[in-house]
Amino acid sequence: MLTIDNLHARVGQQSILKGLNLQIKPGEVHAIMGPNGAGKSTLSYLLSGRDGYEVEGGSVQFMDDDLLEMEVEDRARHGLFLAFQYPVEIPGVSNMEFMKESVNAIREQRGEEPLSAAEFLKKAKEACKQVQLPLDFLKRGVNEGFSGGEKKRNEIMQMILLEPKLCILDESDSGLDIDALQVVASGVNSQRNSERSFLVITHYQRLLDYIKPDFVHILANGKIVKSGDASLALKVEKEGYAFLGIEATEEASS
Amino acid sequence: MSAWLQQALERSQANQDWLTPSRNRALAALQSTPWPSRRTEGWKYTSLSALEQLSAEAPAEQPLSEIPAIEGLDCLELVFLNGQLQSDLSTLQLPAGVRIDSMASLPPEQQVLATTQFANIKPERHLFGLVNDVLAQDIVFIQLDDGCHLPQPIRIVHQSTEGQQSHQRVLVRLGHKAKASLIEQFLGNQSSVTTAFTELDLAEDAELDHYRLALQSGQALHFGGCHFCLHHRAQLNSTLIGYGSALSRTDIDIIHNGEHAHAKLNAIYLLAESEHFDLHSTIEHAKPNGTTEENVRGIVGDKANAVFNGRIHIHRDAQKTLAELNNRNLLLSRRGQINTKPELEIYADDVQCAHGATVAEIEEQALYYLRSRGISRSQALIMLNFGFIQELVNQMPNQQLAAWLQPQLRARFKEMEVQ
Repeated sequence: MLTIDNLHARVGQQSILKGLNLQIKPGEVHAIMGPNGAGKSTLSYLLSGRDGYEVEGGSVQFMDDDLLEMEVEDRARHGLFLAFQYPVEIPGVSNMEFMKESVNAIREQRGEEPLSAAEFLKKAKEACKQVQLPLDFLKRGVNEGFSGGEKKRNEIMQMILLEPKLCILDESDSGLDIDALQVVASGVNSQRNSERSFLVITHYQRLLDYIKPDFVHILANGKIVKSGDASLALKVEKEGYAFLGIEATEEASS
Repeated sequence: MSAWLQQALERSQANQDWLTPSRNRALAALQSTPWPSRRTEGWKYTSLSALEQLSAEAPAEQPLSEIPAIEGLDCLELVFLNGQLQSDLSTLQLPAGVRIDSMASLPPEQQVLATTQFANIKPERHLFGLVNDVLAQDIVFIQLDDGCHLPQPIRIVHQSTEGQQSHQRVLVRLGHKAKASLIEQFLGNQSSVTTAFTELDLAEDAELDHYRLALQSGQALHFGGCHFCLHHRAQLNSTLIGYGSALSRTDIDIIHNGEHAHAKLNAIYLLAESEHFDLHSTIEHAKPNGTTEENVRGIVGDKANAVFNGRIHIHRDAQKTLAELNNRNLLLSRRGQINTKPELEIYADDVQCAHGATVAEIEEQALYYLRSRGISRSQALIMLNFGFIQELVNQMPNQQLAAWLQPQLRARFKEMEVQ
């Protein structure tokens, strides 16, 4: 599904990723944890194709394609989905219009007919209920005036509608209370199957109680310093990163 | 004076006595003002040559059978065909507290009273306002009594037809604590000339929702203006929607003539083909503690031409004024043109004032977000730009009117992007 090989990248003059390796197979759930400033968000933005990240070396293979050569929208059309840590508010564009456009762009890539307004509405209502958002959220501007938790649930609703192959969740648990966390997690779990893979980026082990990972990786100073199973996350939770010889930096990851 | 105006004067009907003084004043002002050229301030980007090229021959006027209603909106209707009030299509039964009069039908002393009362709202510098003073044959006078809360909107529809000239003048007075909603709608795409000026006086604590739908398009030549005078704590929320045409010019003036008045002006223009649209707005803060929020957004396609000049003038005594002016544009084609100029003149030292104008600058974050969901860059740009128009439509207090407008604006926008 995804093969990251010796990836080096920088933002401006600052090197952030310094030789990152990661392999994700279909159906696997990988979690990445790490201290602030380790490069977690950089990795997710870079994979989705955001401007401003310069690859200095290494490669990323997404199924049969060289991911780094693809435009942002093509990555999405080929099945890559990023649930944003800070989803953007777009007043004036309704959630419904946005998601319909998006779903149909992806269907076109797959060689499927676009959904009619009625067909889409039906699916959208189901997804909306699944993440426990009131139906009027479909009519509102994209994320406009949504609370932090509502934005995260809106991301999961999009994920459900777009049926991606690889889902990257960038701190989808941050700022959520326990109820919202459960809604997000059960939305994610409902989408797990033998074909679909997940990369779950999080600060806290708590999310992994609800979304059980197959693999846990610790990202520090731009590379994976330790990989293991779910027990690794528990160990980090209990002992911090010190046992890995990592000093937590003061720098915030963004 | 232009050949067109000369001809229009000759064609115009005999003077009404009560209009003579204001007409003579305007005529004198016109005679001493050079007809605008491209070198005239305020007309730099708008040529009046289309006016001079009009055919003098007017075909027979066609009667008007009906005016499309605004679905879901029950209005008090005033319908004008080529400047003439159509009483059979208008609402003649009015609720208590509101009067709508054709001034020609009022007793002379009331005519004189009304004309003096309103002489000061429309500034003399508006050339086509003067032209309208000279050519208008009647004035519609709308008055709301103190404390009158009008439940339905008043809708004034102006329809023009092939070869005709119409010169409409509307005066609106809202009494103390009166509350109303006014929709002015202009229709007609055939070759015609319209001058249409509305003067609105909002007494203390009055509230007005105002909509000016300048939807004349095609070959119609449109010269219009709205001139608001806000007294103490008056609240104005005005929305202008403009389509371009062979020549369309609108002047909006808002004068804060009392303290703590609030004005919100949202304007949208959508231009296709080789249409022209020119909006000049002037906000005068003459008194302290006033607030103004002005958002002007436009989309220009094909060979169309948009002009926006937004002036905010804060007088020396107008301390604690809060004023914001913002103009955003999207140019859909290389052949289109946008000339935008915000102007701030501030003579008070304790004010907050901001302005900005942009052409086709999209928030990169929003663009990236849409693209990250598989939407192409070009489609995302269209969505975001129509989105910023829609954002202003969504702010209209009358959401039934917004719902009625939305599909029309969308259809027009779609036409523009096809070209």
